[in-house]
Amino acid sequence: MLRGRAFVYKRVFIRIKYDHLLIREGLRIREGQERIVEAYVGEYASGKSEVALNRALNLVQRGHQPVTLVDFDLVEPFYTLRPLQKELLKQGLQVLTWETGKVIGWGETGTLLKPEVRWALNRKGDVIIDVGYGVAGIGKLALLANIDECPELKVYVVLNMARPLTASVVGIVEYVQTLGTVQGVINNSHCGDDTNIELIQEGAKVVTQAANILGLPVIGTTVEQRFAEQIEEYDVMGNPVFFLERQMNRYLW
Amino acid sequence: MAEKPITDEKRVFMTGNEAVAWAALAAEAEIMYGYPITPQNEIMHYWTRLAPKYKRKFLQTEDEISAGFTTCGGVLAGKRAFTATAGPGNVLMQEAMSMAEMMRIPTVVVVQQRGGPSTATVIYSQQETTLTCFGGNGEGLRLVYSTSSHQELFDYTIKAFYMAWKYRFPTFVLGDGYQAKMRESLYLYNPIEKGMPLAESYPFLGQEGRPGVEREPSHLRNTYNTEEELYQIISGYVEDYERMIPEVVEYQVSDLEDAEIVVIAHGIVSRAAREAVKVLRQEGRKVGYFRPITLRPFPTGKLREIAPKAKKLVVAESAQGQLFKLVQEALYGETVPLEPYFKPGLGITGEELVEFLQSNFGQ
Repeated sequence: MLRGRAFVYKRVFIRIKYDHLLIREGLRIREGQERIVEAYVGEYASGKSEVALNRALNLVQRGHQPVTLVDFDLVEPFYTLRPLQKELLKQGLQVLTWETGKVIGWGETGTLLKPEVRWALNRKGDVIIDVGYGVAGIGKLALLANIDECPELKVYVVLNMARPLTASVVGIVEYVQTLGTVQGVINNSHCGDDTNIELIQEGAKVVTQAANILGLPVIGTTVEQRFAEQIEEYDVMGNPVFFLERQMNRYLW
Repeated sequence: MAEKPITDEKRVFMTGNEAVAWAALAAEAEIMYGYPITPQNEIMHYWTRLAPKYKRKFLQTEDEISAGFTTCGGVLAGKRAFTATAGPGNVLMQEAMSMAEMMRIPTVVVVQQRGGPSTATVIYSQQETTLTCFGGNGEGLRLVYSTSSHQELFDYTIKAFYMAWKYRFPTFVLGDGYQAKMRESLYLYNPIEKGMPLAESYPFLGQEGRPGVEREPSHLRNTYNTEEELYQIISGYVEDYERMIPEVVEYQVSDLEDAEIVVIAHGIVSRAAREAVKVLRQEGRKVGYFRPITLRPFPTGKLREIAPKAKKLVVAESAQGQLFKLVQEALYGETVPLEPYFKPGLGITGEELVEFLQSNFGQ
């Protein structure tokens, strides 16, 4: 009997606490700080992880807290954000990714979803999702709990025209159409260390033309910081330019 | 006529596995047989994505034993056929590749090495060196190219088809999980436009005309009646192989002039070695670099020319002495000391090699 009552009290208490959070959340939105939830998708080597990571760090730098970066790769969780995790934590980011030693059988267990990644959308604050393993597409976003109750989620396609399948307007249109519903595209045309400004601007043209056909906005052109003197606030097509600090190339993975 | 996959030479950015798929298209490979295994999966993914567009074919088999034998079958039917695998898959393919050696079937196999023994890691190693060079119950009559970059994965995959069909020995492109997954820029090109010949493929079975009357019979055997019969056949193959060696053997060298220590590495580790040599040269150290590109046949002649001039050879590899054995065999009779730097299943960086070499110079 006593146990039962304690249980009821506890539930009521949690309920009150939860409502309180909702109210706080509501106030926060009214103050104009809408929660940012974005998922970055794209082909291998399109630069999704780099773009997602830079976006998340940028939000932290702008005073958003908390900001959670989610490594949403079911197949190969050992290749992406894992080695960067500790450093990113120091920079004020929350990172959801696997840690060596806390899991066994990488790569041989089939697909693997980290429980806290499944519940990532329930976290407070901004959530930036790096949707890894390009070939699988974005269908797996459906695995995230409560995705239907997250109207603020925006899915952006990261495009690199140095990749043959997305090197042309037709190629990009065909590729993006295979992905399902997305809210925008990003021109991240690059060739790693061999990138040049011509490739970036050519990418802006091709991506913008494709976006017009698709009826999608170009969210912007992402450019490595080292090109700051060669490109200004907008690319040749008038899309906003966002500068990136490359992080992924500092590790073997 | 299907659309050409690559027309103009173009700089691109992709994973190594994708580079292999594009190379196979460029080499006009007609069919891939395969069974999935990390870290080579995206070769299959990209091939299956590209194949319908360019009228090529793919068959997923029930395992690697089957993938190896169907690749042999595709070639016997006259197709430029290939497969790709890694680790335990490479082990399973050895029976088929052994048959390819016996029947002189020009198969092409791309191996993206993963950790071993057994399942080990899906990530990286150089532990399939011995297996790829000498796997199977035979004499290792194969051609094995060890690549170190995406450009080389592209170049040597194209080359592998040509060489396999020219000499009719099974040919392997030996990459690794790092090369497979890493993102790097490279130039894609159409080999024909560069004046590079394509493999001349032809059916081994089912040719036109009555065998023995209108044409030579296709007598393809992997079974012989007596020891003498087998001995005669194998001796002929060995002669063919030895005649081929000077025409196919490849290596890369630098800074050998006055080198006291020469670093020997293959595949991706050679990039760390090259970097270490560059750094140490800037410090005034007399260090040189030797990289076998063909592991089988091994560039024995060149290594024997270098060895007596050096005070020490350092062999660096992500395995416990598989390259070291090839070096030892090549240098039999030489007295130059060999210093191992073995990291089985682990990557090797330029920085750690610099440190190791500095200690060898007695700092």
